[in-house]
Amino acid sequence: MQTPKLLLTLLKINLQQELAYRTDAVINILINLVWLGWELLSLSIIFNATPTLGGWGPAAMVALLGVFRLMNMMMAALIWPATEKFNTGVRDGTLDYTLLQPVNSLFLITFSRIVLWRAWDLALATALIVIGVSQSGGTTWLHVAAFLLLVASGSLILYSLWVVLIAITFWLVKFDNNVTILQALLDTGRYPATVYPVWLRMLVTFVVPIAVATTVPLQALRGDLAPWQIGMFLVISAASAFVASRVWKAGIRRYSGASS
Amino acid sequence: MLRIYQRLWHVNWAEQWQYRANLLMYLLFWLVSPIVYLAVWTTIAGAQGSINGLTANDFATYYLTLLIVDNLTSDITIHLLAYKIQDGTLSGELLKPIHPIITGTLTNNLAFKALTLLVLIPVWLVLCLLFQPDFSGVTLFNVLLAVPAVALGFGIAFFIGASITCVAFWTTRVYSLNELYYAVVVLFSGQFVPLDIMPPLIQNIAQYLPFQLLKYFPIQLILGKLPPEVIARNLALDVIWFVAAALLFRWIWRNGVKRFSAVGA
Repeated sequence: MQTPKLLLTLLKINLQQELAYRTDAVINILINLVWLGWELLSLSIIFNATPTLGGWGPAAMVALLGVFRLMNMMMAALIWPATEKFNTGVRDGTLDYTLLQPVNSLFLITFSRIVLWRAWDLALATALIVIGVSQSGGTTWLHVAAFLLLVASGSLILYSLWVVLIAITFWLVKFDNNVTILQALLDTGRYPATVYPVWLRMLVTFVVPIAVATTVPLQALRGDLAPWQIGMFLVISAASAFVASRVWKAGIRRYSGASS
Repeated sequence: MLRIYQRLWHVNWAEQWQYRANLLMYLLFWLVSPIVYLAVWTTIAGAQGSINGLTANDFATYYLTLLIVDNLTSDITIHLLAYKIQDGTLSGELLKPIHPIITGTLTNNLAFKALTLLVLIPVWLVLCLLFQPDFSGVTLFNVLLAVPAVALGFGIAFFIGASITCVAFWTTRVYSLNELYYAVVVLFSGQFVPLDIMPPLIQNIAQYLPFQLLKYFPIQLILGKLPPEVIARNLALDVIWFVAAALLFRWIWRNGVKRFSAVGA
């Protein structure tokens, strides 16, 4: 297999680039810690005022914060930099060089620019999830397995949505704002979608399914979901990945380069 | 002088108008977090009756007023100017006989505000229909009193923002500095939660800092929640911090321009 080797090489290149700006990485991590402090403070303010938020206790909310940070990390480390590179590529024609490579074009676009200091967030998010889960109690290994499965499928759904959004650029060339709606709504993942008013819950569940990647896995962990619901989310994620890859291929066929 | 501002306004308005589709997208960013916190706190207050004396309606009116006040007092100087200092295009503006920041950048800021407000108002009305807030505490007198508070609040935000941007004369890490500044604003301004439900220590510090003058004070003033002595004290603080921020900017700008050596010069 060529792919793991290629991924390793891309990681190496990005590591070298990042090491040239070590101080910036340290500053970014420190700022990230400041935000963590703020997030924990706002949770403590909330739970000073109420024992549960929409039926969720402090431990569950800490775990949700972890899942949110995981999702946020995926976006900030891979998706936003890839979007920037892609949009520039469509505008000035450098996308041609990416498409000419003998590897899957989507793979190359997704992983060619990785913001590596964000890996720090991976450790932090995992710690938050582990602490939250161990404090909430009553979870079985089956719940944990469902949780992990739904985090993966939720990320896949969001990733597929992203692929469709950027692929639309092939049809509407002047579409630099392709991912703004995703970026703007990401913050809704901080809180359980069950506390939102109906219209916002619908929006973040069905239109831009942030909640499917944050609230839903947590619900599985708490044992709130029936097996058929878990199965349904898995089927949806497989279907959205299939649709996304079809849209991407159709887009590539339409693409004719900026110069021609 | 007024003619210069008039002219700059025309230019900047036309420039911003060109990007009206982008504006709609920026607005989305602006709207999401107040709506999220509005939903969270009205849910909690609805279940608990009230929190530190704040009812569900108090939260609804607070966040809906925040949307407007935040638009009026926020400042985008760093996005308009920092790159000009970094890539050297500022040199062209320094040659003109007008101050590049308190004329050009300021009017651009205001044009952006006016245009976003134009888009915000219909969205805001829809949100009012959705959340059904009761604004009966608002009086005309309070709204009129809020005019100088909002104007001075924007002045403070503008001069602090411009001062931070001018740190770009010394370092390229000005965006990190700005993010840190934003974190402080979030903590002390009442942006995410009304200051009344913050820990007492933070409330005590916040009341002397300029940041609550940008959001918490004008909002509570409009909603008629503040006793006269607090209003008087905050208006006095407004003037003091405005002068302090203006002096800080003057000092940092003079020293910065002296240091400035454009790329290619």
